Amino acid sequence: MHIPDGFLSPQTYLPAYAAAGVAWAWAARGLRRTLDEETVPRLAAMTALAYGLGLVMVPIPGGTSGHALGVAMLALLFGVRLAFLAYSLVLLLQSLLFGAGGITALAVNALAMGLAGSAAAVLTFRGLRRLNETAAVALAAWASVVLPGLLVALALGVQPLIAHKEDGTPLFFPFGLSITLPAVLLPHFFIGAGEAVLTVLVWRFARARRWCSPLPLAGEGPGEEGS
Amino acid sequence: MTATRWLLAYLAAVVAVTFIHEAWLLAALLAAALAAGGAGRWRIARRAVLAVLTFNLTVSLGYAAVSLWQGRFSAAYLLLVNLRVVLLVYLGFWFVARVNLLDACRFSPTLSFVVTLAAGQIEAFSRALRDFRLAFASRNAAAPALAARARHAAAQAGHLLDKSVCMAAETALAMRSRGCFDDHAGLPPPQAPPAACKKP
Repeated sequence: MHIPDGFLSPQTYLPAYAAAGVAWAWAARGLRRTLDEETVPRLAAMTALAYGLGLVMVPIPGGTSGHALGVAMLALLFGVRLAFLAYSLVLLLQSLLFGAGGITALAVNALAMGLAGSAAAVLTFRGLRRLNETAAVALAAWASVVLPGLLVALALGVQPLIAHKEDGTPLFFPFGLSITLPAVLLPHFFIGAGEAVLTVLVWRFARARRWCSPLPLAGEGPGEEGS
Repeated sequence: MTATRWLLAYLAAVVAVTFIHEAWLLAALLAAALAAGGAGRWRIARRAVLAVLTFNLTVSLGYAAVSLWQGRFSAAYLLLVNLRVVLLVYLGFWFVARVNLLDACRFSPTLSFVVTLAAGQIEAFSRALRDFRLAFASRNAAAPALAARARHAAAQAGHLLDKSVCMAAETALAMRSRGCFDDHAGLPPPQAPPAACKKP
Protein backbone atom coordinates (compact mmCIF):
# COMPACT_ATOMS: atom_id res chain seq x y z
CA MET A 1 0.00 0.00 0.00
CA HIS A 2 2.94 2.33 0.53
CA ILE A 3 3.23 5.13 -1.99
CA PRO A 4 6.86 5.21 -3.15
CA ASP A 5 9.04 8.26 -3.72
CA GLY A 6 8.60 10.26 -6.88
CA PHE A 7 4.90 9.73 -7.60
CA LEU A 8 3.46 12.51 -5.45
CA SER A 9 3.70 16.13 -6.53
CA PRO A 10 4.98 18.82 -4.15
CA GLN A 11 1.45 20.29 -4.23
CA THR A 12 0.40 17.10 -2.45
CA TYR A 13 3.24 16.12 -0.16
CA LEU A 14 4.14 19.58 1.20
CA PRO A 15 0.62 20.28 2.58
CA ALA A 16 0.53 16.67 3.78
CA TYR A 17 3.72 17.29 5.76
CA ALA A 18 2.12 20.37 7.33
CA ALA A 19 -0.94 18.35 8.35
CA ALA A 20 1.18 15.44 9.56
CA GLY A 21 3.35 17.83 11.60
CA VAL A 22 0.28 19.01 13.48
CA ALA A 23 -0.85 15.41 14.00
CA TRP A 24 2.59 14.28 15.20
CA ALA A 25 2.70 17.16 17.69
CA TRP A 26 -0.80 16.23 18.92
CA ALA A 27 0.15 12.60 19.36
CA ALA A 28 3.49 13.31 21.04
CA ARG A 29 2.01 15.88 23.40
CA GLY A 30 -0.73 13.52 24.50
CA LEU A 31 1.73 10.73 25.13
CA ARG A 32 4.13 12.93 27.05
CA ARG A 33 1.33 14.19 29.27
CA THR A 34 -0.09 10.82 30.16
CA LEU A 35 2.78 8.38 30.13
CA ASP A 36 5.80 8.27 32.35
CA GLU A 37 9.43 7.36 31.83
CA GLU A 38 8.35 4.26 29.95
CA THR A 39 7.16 6.43 27.07
CA VAL A 40 10.39 6.23 25.11
CA PRO A 41 11.04 2.48 25.51
CA ARG A 42 7.36 1.74 24.92
CA LEU A 43 7.28 3.84 21.75
CA ALA A 44 10.44 2.08 20.55
CA ALA A 45 8.97 -1.34 21.31
CA MET A 46 5.74 -0.47 19.52
CA THR A 47 7.70 0.84 16.54
CA ALA A 48 9.56 -2.45 16.34
CA LEU A 49 6.25 -4.27 16.79
CA ALA A 50 4.62 -2.30 13.97
CA TYR A 51 7.59 -3.14 11.76
CA GLY A 52 7.46 -6.81 12.77
CA LEU A 53 3.71 -7.05 12.16
CA GLY A 54 4.35 -5.73 8.67
CA LEU A 55 6.58 -8.76 8.09
CA VAL A 56 3.87 -11.24 9.09
CA MET A 57 2.28 -12.78 6.01
CA VAL A 58 -1.52 -12.74 6.11
CA PRO A 59 -2.98 -15.74 4.28
CA ILE A 60 -5.48 -14.83 1.57
CA PRO A 61 -7.86 -17.43 0.09
CA GLY A 62 -6.42 -18.83 -3.13
CA GLY A 63 -3.02 -19.72 -1.74
CA THR A 64 -1.55 -16.24 -1.84
CA SER A 65 -0.68 -13.96 1.04
CA GLY A 66 -0.09 -10.29 1.77
CA HIS A 67 1.72 -8.33 4.44
CA ALA A 68 -0.20 -7.52 7.59
CA LEU A 69 -0.67 -3.84 8.35
CA GLY A 70 -1.03 -4.35 12.09
CA VAL A 71 -2.20 -0.82 12.76
CA ALA A 72 -5.60 -1.98 14.06
CA MET A 73 -3.88 -4.27 16.54
CA LEU A 74 -1.67 -1.44 17.77
CA ALA A 75 -4.54 1.05 17.97
CA LEU A 76 -6.93 -1.31 19.77
CA LEU A 77 -4.33 -2.40 22.28
CA PHE A 78 -2.31 0.77 22.84
CA GLY A 79 -4.34 3.71 21.51
CA VAL A 80 -4.43 5.93 18.43
CA ARG A 81 -1.59 8.25 19.44
CA LEU A 82 0.93 5.50 20.11
CA ALA A 83 -0.13 3.58 17.00
CA PHE A 84 0.21 6.69 14.83
CA LEU A 85 3.65 7.65 16.17
CA ALA A 86 4.94 4.08 16.02
CA TYR A 87 3.69 3.62 12.47
CA SER A 88 5.19 6.95 11.38
CA LEU A 89 8.58 5.89 12.76
CA VAL A 90 8.29 2.58 10.95
CA LEU A 91 7.61 4.39 7.69
CA LEU A 92 10.62 6.64 8.30
CA LEU A 93 12.92 3.68 8.95
CA GLN A 94 11.50 1.73 6.00
CA SER A 95 11.94 4.64 3.62
CA LEU A 96 15.50 5.44 4.68
CA LEU A 97 16.83 1.95 5.30
CA PHE A 98 14.94 -0.17 2.78
CA GLY A 99 13.67 2.22 0.11
CA ALA A 100 10.09 1.12 0.84
CA GLY A 101 7.67 4.00 0.84
CA GLY A 102 9.75 7.11 0.49
CA ILE A 103 10.59 10.32 2.23
CA THR A 104 8.34 12.47 0.01
CA ALA A 105 5.42 10.09 0.52
CA LEU A 106 6.06 9.64 4.24
CA ALA A 107 3.50 12.19 5.42
CA VAL A 108 0.71 10.88 3.17
CA ASN A 109 1.50 7.28 4.12
CA ALA A 110 1.61 8.15 7.82
CA LEU A 111 -1.64 10.08 7.72
CA ALA A 112 -3.41 7.37 5.72
CA MET A 113 -2.12 4.22 7.39
CA GLY A 114 -1.01 5.47 10.80
CA LEU A 115 -3.65 8.05 11.69
CA ALA A 116 -6.70 7.26 9.56
CA GLY A 117 -6.15 3.51 9.88
CA SER A 118 -5.84 3.52 13.65
CA ALA A 119 -8.68 6.04 14.10
CA ALA A 120 -10.94 3.97 11.85
CA ALA A 121 -10.13 0.87 13.88
CA VAL A 122 -10.81 2.46 17.26
CA LEU A 123 -14.01 4.23 16.15
CA THR A 124 -15.39 1.10 14.48
CA PHE A 125 -14.54 -0.96 17.53
CA ARG A 126 -16.21 1.48 19.92
CA GLY A 127 -19.28 1.74 17.75
CA LEU A 128 -19.81 -2.00 17.45
CA ARG A 129 -18.31 -3.40 20.65
CA ARG A 130 -21.61 -3.59 22.51
CA LEU A 131 -23.21 -5.64 19.74
CA ASN A 132 -20.52 -8.28 19.34
CA GLU A 133 -16.92 -7.87 20.39
CA THR A 134 -15.39 -10.35 17.94
CA ALA A 135 -17.28 -8.82 15.02
CA ALA A 136 -16.26 -5.38 16.23
CA VAL A 137 -12.57 -6.34 16.23
CA ALA A 138 -12.86 -7.94 12.79
CA LEU A 139 -14.65 -4.96 11.26
CA ALA A 140 -12.23 -2.56 12.96
CA ALA A 141 -9.28 -4.39 11.37
CA TRP A 142 -11.02 -4.46 7.98
CA ALA A 143 -11.74 -0.73 8.19
CA SER A 144 -8.14 -0.02 9.20
CA VAL A 145 -7.01 -1.51 5.88
CA VAL A 146 -9.75 -0.30 3.54
CA LEU A 147 -9.88 3.35 4.66
CA PRO A 148 -6.12 3.90 4.20
CA GLY A 149 -6.43 2.12 0.86
CA LEU A 150 -9.11 4.59 -0.15
CA LEU A 151 -7.01 7.57 0.95
CA VAL A 152 -3.92 6.27 -0.87
CA ALA A 153 -6.01 5.71 -4.01
CA LEU A 154 -7.36 9.27 -3.76
CA ALA A 155 -3.88 10.76 -3.21
CA LEU A 156 -2.52 8.92 -6.24
CA GLY A 157 -5.59 9.42 -8.41
CA VAL A 158 -5.63 13.21 -8.14
CA GLN A 159 -2.01 13.54 -9.33
CA PRO A 160 -2.85 13.76 -13.07
CA LEU A 161 -5.35 16.52 -12.24
CA ILE A 162 -3.01 18.71 -10.18
CA ALA A 163 0.37 18.06 -11.81
CA HIS A 164 0.51 17.84 -15.59
CA LYS A 165 2.07 19.56 -18.59
CA GLU A 166 0.13 21.92 -20.84
CA ASP A 167 -0.59 19.08 -23.25
CA GLY A 168 -2.06 17.00 -20.43
CA THR A 169 0.91 14.63 -20.02
CA PRO A 170 1.17 13.71 -16.33
CA LEU A 171 4.25 14.71 -14.35
CA PHE A 172 3.88 12.31 -11.43
CA PHE A 173 1.48 9.40 -11.01
CA PRO A 174 -0.19 8.80 -14.38
CA PHE A 175 -3.52 7.18 -13.53
CA GLY A 176 -6.69 9.01 -12.51
CA LEU A 177 -9.29 8.08 -9.93
CA SER A 178 -11.21 5.85 -12.34
CA ILE A 179 -8.21 3.49 -12.32
CA THR A 180 -6.67 3.96 -8.88
CA LEU A 181 -9.87 3.50 -6.88
CA PRO A 182 -10.72 -0.01 -8.16
CA ALA A 183 -7.05 -1.01 -8.56
CA VAL A 184 -6.19 -0.19 -4.95
CA LEU A 185 -9.50 -0.82 -3.19
CA LEU A 186 -10.54 -4.19 -4.62
CA PRO A 187 -7.42 -6.08 -3.45
CA HIS A 188 -7.63 -4.32 -0.10
CA PHE A 189 -11.13 -5.68 0.50
CA PHE A 190 -9.52 -9.15 0.54
CA ILE A 191 -6.37 -8.07 2.39
CA GLY A 192 -8.67 -6.47 4.97
CA ALA A 193 -10.46 -9.80 5.43
CA GLY A 194 -7.14 -11.54 6.09
CA GLU A 195 -6.13 -8.77 8.48
CA ALA A 196 -9.47 -9.15 10.29
CA VAL A 197 -8.91 -12.87 10.89
CA LEU A 198 -5.36 -12.22 12.12
CA THR A 199 -6.45 -9.38 14.40
CA VAL A 200 -9.24 -11.43 15.98
CA LEU A 201 -6.84 -14.29 16.72
CA VAL A 202 -4.27 -11.93 18.25
CA TRP A 203 -7.01 -10.07 20.13
CA ARG A 204 -8.05 -13.31 21.84
CA PHE A 205 -4.42 -14.02 22.67
CA ALA A 206 -4.04 -10.53 24.13
CA ARG A 207 -7.21 -10.94 26.18
CA ALA A 208 -5.92 -14.20 27.57
CA ARG A 209 -2.77 -12.34 28.62
CA ARG A 210 -4.92 -9.58 30.13
CA TRP A 211 -3.36 -6.90 27.94
CA CYS A 212 -6.75 -5.60 27.02
CA SER A 213 -7.33 -3.92 30.37
CA PRO A 214 -6.41 -0.42 29.14
CA LEU A 215 -8.56 -0.84 26.04
CA PRO A 216 -10.89 1.98 25.30
CA LEU A 217 -14.56 1.38 25.83
CA ALA A 218 -15.54 5.02 25.84
CA GLY A 219 -13.34 7.78 27.08
CA GLU A 220 -10.92 5.53 28.88
CA GLY A 221 -7.57 3.97 28.07
CA PRO A 222 -4.71 5.10 25.88
CA GLY A 223 -6.86 5.84 22.88
CA GLU A 224 -8.54 8.63 24.74
CA GLU A 225 -5.56 10.06 26.52
CA GLY A 226 -5.60 13.76 26.47
CA SER A 227 -8.30 13.93 23.84
CA MET B 1 29.72 18.75 7.84
CA THR B 2 27.68 17.31 10.72
CA ALA B 3 25.24 14.45 10.28
CA THR B 4 22.29 16.74 10.97
CA ARG B 5 23.43 19.09 8.19
CA TRP B 6 23.74 16.14 5.85
CA LEU B 7 20.16 15.26 6.75
CA LEU B 8 18.99 18.79 5.96
CA ALA B 9 20.94 18.78 2.69
CA TYR B 10 19.39 15.44 1.75
CA LEU B 11 15.86 16.70 2.50
CA ALA B 12 16.48 19.88 0.49
CA ALA B 13 17.79 17.83 -2.43
CA VAL B 14 14.74 15.57 -2.35
CA VAL B 15 12.34 18.52 -2.45
CA ALA B 16 14.35 20.17 -5.23
CA VAL B 17 14.31 17.01 -7.35
CA THR B 18 10.50 16.87 -7.24
CA PHE B 19 10.35 20.35 -8.77
CA ILE B 20 12.43 19.29 -11.79
CA HIS B 21 10.40 18.15 -14.79
CA GLU B 22 13.16 17.85 -17.40
CA ALA B 23 14.42 14.32 -18.01
CA TRP B 24 17.85 15.47 -19.22
CA LEU B 25 18.39 17.46 -16.02
CA LEU B 26 17.38 14.51 -13.83
CA ALA B 27 19.71 12.26 -15.85
CA ALA B 28 22.54 14.76 -15.35
CA LEU B 29 21.84 14.89 -11.60
CA LEU B 30 21.76 11.11 -11.40
CA ALA B 31 25.09 10.95 -13.23
CA ALA B 32 26.52 13.56 -10.86
CA ALA B 33 25.23 11.64 -7.82
CA LEU B 34 26.76 8.44 -9.19
CA ALA B 35 30.06 10.19 -9.81
CA ALA B 36 30.06 11.53 -6.26
CA GLY B 37 28.96 8.20 -4.80
CA GLY B 38 32.45 6.85 -4.27
CA ALA B 39 33.46 3.21 -4.34
CA GLY B 40 30.03 1.91 -3.32
CA ARG B 41 28.13 3.76 -6.05
CA TRP B 42 27.17 0.70 -8.13
CA ARG B 43 26.11 -1.28 -5.09
CA ILE B 44 23.87 1.61 -3.99
CA ALA B 45 22.54 2.07 -7.52
CA ARG B 46 21.73 -1.64 -7.76
CA ARG B 47 19.89 -1.51 -4.43
CA ALA B 48 17.95 1.55 -5.58
CA VAL B 49 16.90 -0.07 -8.86
CA LEU B 50 15.88 -3.31 -7.16
CA ALA B 51 13.89 -1.41 -4.49
CA VAL B 52 11.74 0.38 -7.05
CA LEU B 53 11.67 -2.26 -9.76
CA THR B 54 8.34 -3.93 -8.98
CA PHE B 55 6.28 -0.80 -8.46
CA ASN B 56 7.85 1.17 -11.30
CA LEU B 57 7.59 -1.70 -13.73
CA THR B 58 3.92 -2.15 -12.89
CA VAL B 59 3.16 1.56 -13.27
CA SER B 60 5.26 1.91 -16.44
CA LEU B 61 3.71 -1.11 -18.17
CA GLY B 62 0.24 -0.04 -17.05
CA TYR B 63 0.81 3.47 -18.35
CA ALA B 64 2.17 2.16 -21.65
CA ALA B 65 -0.84 -0.11 -22.13
CA VAL B 66 -3.46 2.51 -21.22
CA SER B 67 -1.85 5.43 -23.06
CA LEU B 68 -1.20 3.40 -26.22
CA TRP B 69 -4.83 2.29 -26.17
CA GLN B 70 -5.92 5.93 -25.76
CA GLY B 71 -3.35 7.19 -28.30
CA ARG B 72 -1.60 9.46 -25.78
CA PHE B 73 1.62 7.55 -25.16
CA SER B 74 4.59 9.65 -24.05
CA ALA B 75 8.02 8.04 -23.81
CA ALA B 76 9.27 11.29 -22.28
CA TYR B 77 6.91 10.80 -19.33
CA LEU B 78 8.15 7.27 -18.71
CA LEU B 79 11.75 8.47 -18.81
CA LEU B 80 10.98 11.40 -16.52
CA VAL B 81 9.16 9.48 -13.83
CA ASN B 82 11.57 6.54 -13.75
CA LEU B 83 14.62 8.80 -13.60
CA ARG B 84 13.05 10.81 -10.80
CA VAL B 85 12.17 7.75 -8.73
CA VAL B 86 15.59 6.13 -9.18
CA LEU B 87 17.35 9.40 -8.33
CA LEU B 88 15.27 9.93 -5.17
CA VAL B 89 15.81 6.39 -3.93
CA TYR B 90 19.53 6.52 -4.84
CA LEU B 91 19.88 9.74 -2.83
CA GLY B 92 18.17 8.07 0.14
CA PHE B 93 20.44 5.01 0.08
CA TRP B 94 23.51 7.17 -0.51
CA PHE B 95 22.58 9.34 2.46
CA VAL B 96 22.15 6.31 4.74
CA ALA B 97 25.39 4.76 3.49
CA ARG B 98 27.31 7.97 4.09
CA VAL B 99 25.73 9.27 7.29
CA ASN B 100 24.92 7.50 10.51
CA LEU B 101 21.16 7.87 10.85
CA LEU B 102 21.40 7.88 14.63
CA ASP B 103 23.88 10.77 14.52
CA ALA B 104 21.56 12.65 12.18
CA CYS B 105 18.74 12.34 14.74
CA ARG B 106 20.83 13.89 17.52
CA PHE B 107 19.00 17.20 17.19
CA SER B 108 16.22 15.48 19.17
CA PRO B 109 17.41 13.30 22.08
CA THR B 110 13.99 11.60 22.30
CA LEU B 111 13.93 10.75 18.59
CA SER B 112 17.51 9.54 18.85
CA PHE B 113 16.61 7.28 21.78
CA VAL B 114 13.54 5.88 20.06
CA VAL B 115 15.30 5.20 16.75
CA THR B 116 18.25 3.54 18.52
CA LEU B 117 16.02 1.27 20.59
CA ALA B 118 13.63 0.53 17.74
CA ALA B 119 16.40 -0.33 15.27
CA GLY B 120 17.86 -2.89 17.68
CA GLN B 121 14.48 -4.44 18.43
CA ILE B 122 13.59 -4.58 14.75
CA GLU B 123 16.65 -6.76 14.18
CA ALA B 124 15.57 -9.08 17.01
CA PHE B 125 12.02 -9.30 15.64
CA SER B 126 13.22 -9.99 12.11
CA ARG B 127 15.35 -12.88 13.36
CA ALA B 128 12.46 -14.27 15.42
CA LEU B 129 10.11 -14.18 12.43
CA ARG B 130 12.68 -15.89 10.22
CA ASP B 131 12.93 -18.68 12.79
CA PHE B 132 9.13 -18.96 12.89
CA ARG B 133 8.95 -19.32 9.10
CA LEU B 134 11.71 -21.91 8.95
CA ALA B 135 10.05 -23.91 11.72
CA PHE B 136 6.66 -23.72 9.99
CA ALA B 137 8.16 -24.81 6.67
CA SER B 138 9.97 -27.71 8.34
CA ARG B 139 6.74 -28.96 9.91
CA ASN B 140 4.74 -28.92 6.66
CA ALA B 141 5.88 -31.27 3.94
CA ALA B 142 2.89 -30.32 1.78
CA ALA B 143 1.38 -26.89 1.27
CA PRO B 144 -0.38 -25.95 4.56
CA ALA B 145 -4.12 -25.24 4.64
CA LEU B 146 -5.51 -21.75 4.94
CA ALA B 147 -6.48 -22.27 8.59
CA ALA B 148 -2.98 -23.49 9.46
CA ARG B 149 -1.42 -20.47 7.78
CA ALA B 150 -3.81 -18.17 9.64
CA ARG B 151 -2.91 -19.81 12.97
CA HIS B 152 0.77 -19.49 12.10
CA ALA B 153 0.40 -15.78 11.29
CA ALA B 154 -1.51 -15.25 14.54
CA ALA B 155 1.18 -17.10 16.51
CA GLN B 156 3.85 -14.87 15.01
CA ALA B 157 1.89 -11.69 15.74
CA GLY B 158 1.12 -12.88 19.29
CA HIS B 159 4.76 -13.66 19.92
CA LEU B 160 5.78 -10.20 18.68
CA LEU B 161 3.17 -8.58 20.92
CA ASP B 162 4.34 -10.61 23.91
CA LYS B 163 7.98 -9.76 23.25
CA SER B 164 7.38 -6.07 22.64
CA VAL B 165 5.42 -5.61 25.88
CA CYS B 166 8.20 -7.36 27.83
CA MET B 167 10.89 -5.44 25.94
CA ALA B 168 9.32 -2.08 26.80
CA ALA B 169 9.42 -2.89 30.51
CA GLU B 170 12.92 -4.40 30.35
CA THR B 171 14.30 -1.47 28.37
CA ALA B 172 12.84 1.01 30.84
CA LEU B 173 14.55 -0.83 33.70
CA ALA B 174 17.82 -1.02 31.75
CA MET B 175 17.68 2.71 30.96
CA ARG B 176 16.95 3.51 34.60
CA SER B 177 19.86 1.38 35.79
CA ARG B 178 22.15 3.31 33.43
CA GLY B 179 21.00 6.67 34.73
CA CYS B 180 18.92 7.73 31.72
CA PHE B 181 16.10 9.08 33.91
CA ASP B 182 16.25 11.94 36.32
CA ASP B 183 15.04 10.24 39.48
CA HIS B 184 15.28 13.49 41.43
CA ALA B 185 12.90 15.39 39.17
CA GLY B 186 10.15 16.90 41.28
CA LEU B 187 11.82 15.86 44.52
CA PRO B 188 13.29 18.25 47.09
CA PRO B 189 17.02 18.86 46.66
CA PRO B 190 19.20 16.26 48.35
CA GLN B 191 20.12 17.08 51.91
CA ALA B 192 23.68 17.47 53.09
CA PRO B 193 25.14 14.21 54.35
CA PRO B 194 24.99 13.75 58.11
CA ALA B 195 27.97 14.93 60.05
CA ALA B 196 29.02 11.36 60.68
CA CYS B 197 29.66 10.88 56.94
CA LYS B 198 31.80 14.00 56.55
CA LYS B 199 35.53 13.61 56.30
CA PRO B 200 37.45 15.14 59.14
